[in-house]
Amino acid sequence: MAVTRHNILKDANSRTQYANGVMLLKREASGRTTTDFGVLGPTAPLSTYDLFVVWHHQTMMTLTPPNNSAGRNAAHRGPVFLPWHRVMLMLYEKNLQRVLADANFGLPYWDWSADGDHTPAKQKKSKLWATDCMGGQGTPVKKGPFKFKATDPQSFRVRIEGDMFSRLQATNRGLERQFAVSGVTTLPTSQNVKDALQVTPFDDPQWDADSDGFRNVVEGWIGGPPDEPGLHNRVHVWVGGDMLPGTSPNDPVFFLNHCNEDRIWESWMVKHGRTYVPKMNAGSALKGHRIDDPIASPLGAATRPRDVLNVSGIYTYDALVP
Amino acid sequence: MDPKKLADAAHPEAIGTFLAARPMTMHHGEGPATSVREAEHRGHHITIRTTYEIEVDGRKLDLPLGLDNDGHVHCHALPNYQFASAIDLVKRTIDTFPREFPGTRRRATPSPDKSHGHSGSMHMSMGRKKRG
Repeated sequence: MAVTRHNILKDANSRTQYANGVMLLKREASGRTTTDFGVLGPTAPLSTYDLFVVWHHQTMMTLTPPNNSAGRNAAHRGPVFLPWHRVMLMLYEKNLQRVLADANFGLPYWDWSADGDHTPAKQKKSKLWATDCMGGQGTPVKKGPFKFKATDPQSFRVRIEGDMFSRLQATNRGLERQFAVSGVTTLPTSQNVKDALQVTPFDDPQWDADSDGFRNVVEGWIGGPPDEPGLHNRVHVWVGGDMLPGTSPNDPVFFLNHCNEDRIWESWMVKHGRTYVPKMNAGSALKGHRIDDPIASPLGAATRPRDVLNVSGIYTYDALVP
Repeated sequence: MDPKKLADAAHPEAIGTFLAARPMTMHHGEGPATSVREAEHRGHHITIRTTYEIEVDGRKLDLPLGLDNDGHVHCHALPNYQFASAIDLVKRTIDTFPREFPGTRRRATPSPDKSHGHSGSMHMSMGRKKRG
C-alpha cells in the first residue's frame, strides 16, 4: 500500500516521527567504517544514516562522462537529477519505516516556497526551525532534536565531511547551519514554483547546468534572480553550513528539501505527462542520464529513470502544487 | 517499482556493499584540474584547455575546478554554486571551509577587492536564463 508524504509543518506526527527516525538511523551501526569508503582520518564506525552521506558524495564525484567539463555527474547537473534523488529518498524512507517499525510512515516534505513568501526576517523564524521540528541555526546547532552536546555521545554528530578538495574526512562535531549568509538572503517563492511548472520540456540540450528545461529550473541553475541560484540550489545555499558541500545529507533538512523537489516534479508530471528525455538515441556522452540507463543505486542496473516516472504504488503526496 | 526489491536494496548491508564496490573520489589534489571544452563551428572543431593554478596566501590549492562551455566556473566542493569568476569561487571556498584557512576573519568584516572591480559581494552566474 502506498504511503502518504505530508507537509512537515502541517502534520505533527510526521514531524515527531521524522526526528525520531533520523536519530535511530544515526545510532544504528551500519557495520561499515570510514576506511571502507576511503575516508581520510582515523577509522571510525559509520551509522546507517551516514551511508546516505557517502552515497550522495560518491555519486556527485562520478562524472558522466568522465572528465566532462560541464561537471555533469551521476546525480546532478544533468537530466538524472530528479530520478536519482527519487530513488535515494525511497531507500531512505524504507529505512525510516524499518527503524520506526511503521510501514505507513511517509517521508515529510518542507514546502520552502510557503516560507519564501514571507519577509527575510520571518523566513528565519519559520516553524521548521522550532525546537520541536528541525531546530535552528548555529555552529553547532544548539536546539532541537539534532542539537550538539559535547558531553553526550548520543547527541547528533556529523561523522563525515567533504573538504575543499572534495575528499571525505572523518570528523566528530555538531551539525552546522547559517541562514541566509552564503550568497542568498531569501528562499524561493511560491511564484517561482508556479513559474517552474510552466516550463517544458523536461530537459533540453545541452543536458547540463546550461540547459533550458524544467529539470534545470528545479535544480536551480537557471530561473532564479539574476546572478543567484534558483529553487533547489537556493535552498541549500540559504540554509548554509552543512548544506553546502557534497556531504549535504549530513543535515536532515536535505531530505525535506529534496522531498519537496520530488513533489514539484510529480506535480509537473501530472500537468505535462510522465515524459522523460533524453531517450537512448541521445548518444553515449549522455550515458547515465538516458531513459533506460541504470540509476547509480543499490537497486542495480534494472532500475532506470523510466522505472521511477510512476511510483504511485510506493508513495503519494498529501497535496501537489496546483 | 517492486516494494520487496526496494526494501531489500534499502537494507544497510546492501547499501554498504554497493558503496564499497564503487570507485572513490577521482580528485585527490594530485595537480590542478584541466577543463577541456570542445565545440563545432562552420566545419571546424574547437578545443580549449583551461587549467587554473590557484594560490591563497602563497599556498597552492589544487581545487577540482571545472569550466563549462558557457564559461561558468564550478567546483565539486561547492555543488550548489557556479560563478562567472574563479576569484569569486575561491572566495566562496574560503567562506565555506574556514577551518582550512586559519586566520580567516569573521564574516561580518567584508574585505574590499579592488583587483576584481567590486567589493565584498560575489557574483554567481546562475539565473542567466531568467524565467517567468
